[in-house]
Amino acid sequence: MTDDDGPAIDPDEYEDVWVFVEEHDGDVMPVSWELLAEAKALAETTGDDLVALTIGEDLDDVAEEAIARGADRVLVADDPVFEPYRADPYGEQFRAMVEDRKPSIVLIGGTHTGRDFAGRVAVPAHAGLTADVTEIDVDDEGVLQARRPAFGGDILATILCEEHRPQMATIRPGVFEAAEPDPDRIDSDAGEIVDVEVVVDEDDAVSEVLEREVGETADITEADRIVAVGHGVEGDLGPARELAEAIDAELAASRAAVDEGWIDGARQVGQTGKTVRPELYVAVGISGAIQHVEGMNKSDTVVAINDDPNAPIFDHADYGIVGDLFEVCPALVERLETEPIGEVVQ
Amino acid sequence: MTWTIVVGIKQVPDADEVGIDPDTGRLDRASAPAVMNGPDRHALEAALTIRDAAGGEVIAMTMGPPNATSILEDAVAMGCDDAVLISDRAFAGSDTWPTSLTLARAAEELGADVVVAGEETTDSSTGQVPPGIAAHNGWAQLTYAEAVDPRPEEGRLVARRDVEGGYELVAAELPVVVAVAFGEFDPRPAPLHRKIYGENDFEPTVWDAEDLGIKDEVGLDVSPTSVGRMETVDPVERKSEVVDDVDDLAAAITEVRA
Ligand SMILES: Cc1cc2nc3c(=O)[nH]c(=O)nc-3n(C[C@H](O)[C@H](O)[C@H](O)COP(=O)(O)OP(=O)(O)OC[C@H]3O[C@@H](n4cnc5c(N)ncnc54)[C@H](O)[C@@H]3O)c2cc1C
Ligand SMILES: Cc1cc2nc3c(=O)[nH]c(=O)nc-3n(C[C@H](O)[C@H](O)[C@H](O)COP(=O)(O)OP(=O)(O)OC[C@H]3O[C@@H](n4cnc5c(N)ncnc54)[C@H](O)[C@@H]3O)c2cc1C
Repeated sequence: MTDDDGPAIDPDEYEDVWVFVEEHDGDVMPVSWELLAEAKALAETTGDDLVALTIGEDLDDVAEEAIARGADRVLVADDPVFEPYRADPYGEQFRAMVEDRKPSIVLIGGTHTGRDFAGRVAVPAHAGLTADVTEIDVDDEGVLQARRPAFGGDILATILCEEHRPQMATIRPGVFEAAEPDPDRIDSDAGEIVDVEVVVDEDDAVSEVLEREVGETADITEADRIVAVGHGVEGDLGPARELAEAIDAELAASRAAVDEGWIDGARQVGQTGKTVRPELYVAVGISGAIQHVEGMNKSDTVVAINDDPNAPIFDHADYGIVGDLFEVCPALVERLETEPIGEVVQ
Repeated sequence: MTWTIVVGIKQVPDADEVGIDPDTGRLDRASAPAVMNGPDRHALEAALTIRDAAGGEVIAMTMGPPNATSILEDAVAMGCDDAVLISDRAFAGSDTWPTSLTLARAAEELGADVVVAGEETTDSSTGQVPPGIAAHNGWAQLTYAEAVDPRPEEGRLVARRDVEGGYELVAAELPVVVAVAFGEFDPRPAPLHRKIYGENDFEPTVWDAEDLGIKDEVGLDVSPTSVGRMETVDPVERKSEVVDDVDDLAAAITEVRA
């Protein structure tokens, strides 16, 4: 299918910056709006249109919101075959749109969904796909500079896709800021909504969703204060929860605590979870593995509670206390509650 | 009809042994010993679980340098029936596009009904190889699988997938690529007699790009992406003050909040 040098493509035939707007049952994943805001800046640099793309069922509200949040155009593939999400119909539809319309850059949120289907687009399109990106930029020639952590976060590598198009990337949730929607953009017809042809047929599907249970997904990426629990809490979230209440913090967790089923995966911090940037991050019973630290080292101040004086978390904390969390947390809550309110609540 | 279960495993530098080069102050990954990617032990466990339930055989495959044979020996010790080393200088510089093509062709050659893979690696951790294998072969895929339920009588495999905010049960037709969520399949220990067999008597099948008919479709030339600059990330400066009592910790927290 390819010659030695790969397919010869003309990058100039490819234009526009695309952002995938991921929705499930009408709820849009926050990372989609983060990407739309960041992509707006990219599109301004390259002089391209900013195009949002959404796949699902009953997408009118989602399409309008994408315009309000800055899209010049929204491509909508609306059909029951896309709800709930499945890799094969999504991948096939997305690929058809990419091959038809030839975008230069395609950004996809690095959620389980995004990372599931992105390869089903990039492989048949022979596109470059950079994974789990945390910084993006574009050079004068329109070449995307996608930076991503590797080796557990020890290295920041710049990945380029110079001779293939589109340049695709999945982007870590929580690294960019979403912009507020501007309702005037809808009233003034600032963007165009395009219904695209649905090329997928249910009869061709090779998978079937038998059951799906999804609750509220917490968004820890916007929190100013976070109390994060690790394996050290042994399934008892009580002390950490009380501490979180005392300082008005969101609860988050290490992967070990999530894997045990003690807390929902949407609250996981780290390489395969979210990137957070609170003013205050309190790690309770977390050892400080590199894959965890990578998601929290943008916090302003880090506090660690751990009973092992050699735990690596102390190297990644501003203040630490060596002690049993089941004693330290309640004592801390008591101490914080007796503090004059004016000083504690700001 | 029993199943042929192929499991992909990769050799990576041992993350715990990556030291700092005293001359340059940079991370020295080259001298770290090569080990099996941690999440792939969970993939092996999942593959063996599927065999236990559906019958058949488990074959481990790795694309890597000749010394990657040692992780295949580990896999055989853990209970795999056979293993394949896919090795060729032509693979150098492959990004996930040709890597997944190579593994897709090997899986086809082996007659795979199920391919099992890890969630991602600890070195380049793209997580793109399993969906890439499925895409190259036009097969079904189940990623972030927390539990597997093979149903040979239906010719399908059901997995519980971890999705944001919950889970879903998805049934896929065979052949299917399953990428298992790291941490959900506790790897079984290798019995001593298998360890001895793996190390002393076992020889993997060895294939190169020519054997798979993809000589001109691998390596740097067909890889859409390339790795540009690599910067060592300096650790974030922290005060690293260990306080003795809760009062001091409360004071530190209140100060942050003031
Ligand atoms: C590919 C890959 C991706 C990963 N992605 C992530 C990720 O996104 N996020 C993440 O967090 N991890 C991730 N990990 C896992 C990571 O390597 C660690 O295994 C994990 O972070 C450990 O979680 P933990 O610190 O909660 O548990 P542990 O390492 O078990 O640490 C528990 C800590 O609690 C302390 N403790 C125990 N009892 C008490 C007590 N009573 N009082 C006080 N302290 C106590 C112990 O001293 C210990 O330090 C990933 C791993 C891989 C291979
Ligand atoms: C710093 C750096 C960054 C990179 N970034 C990108 C990028 O963004 N995009 C890109 O296309 N390429 C990238 N690459 C190239 C990529 O690392 C290679 O293609 C690599 O061989 C496969 O990717 P992975 O390790 O991320 O596998 P993953 O997709 O993370 O692996 C998932 C699972 O697939 C199986 N598997 C993976 N590799 C093998 C193998 N060789 N043999 C058998 N089973 C295997 C294992 O079960 C593994 O657990 C990068 C390389 C480097 C050094």
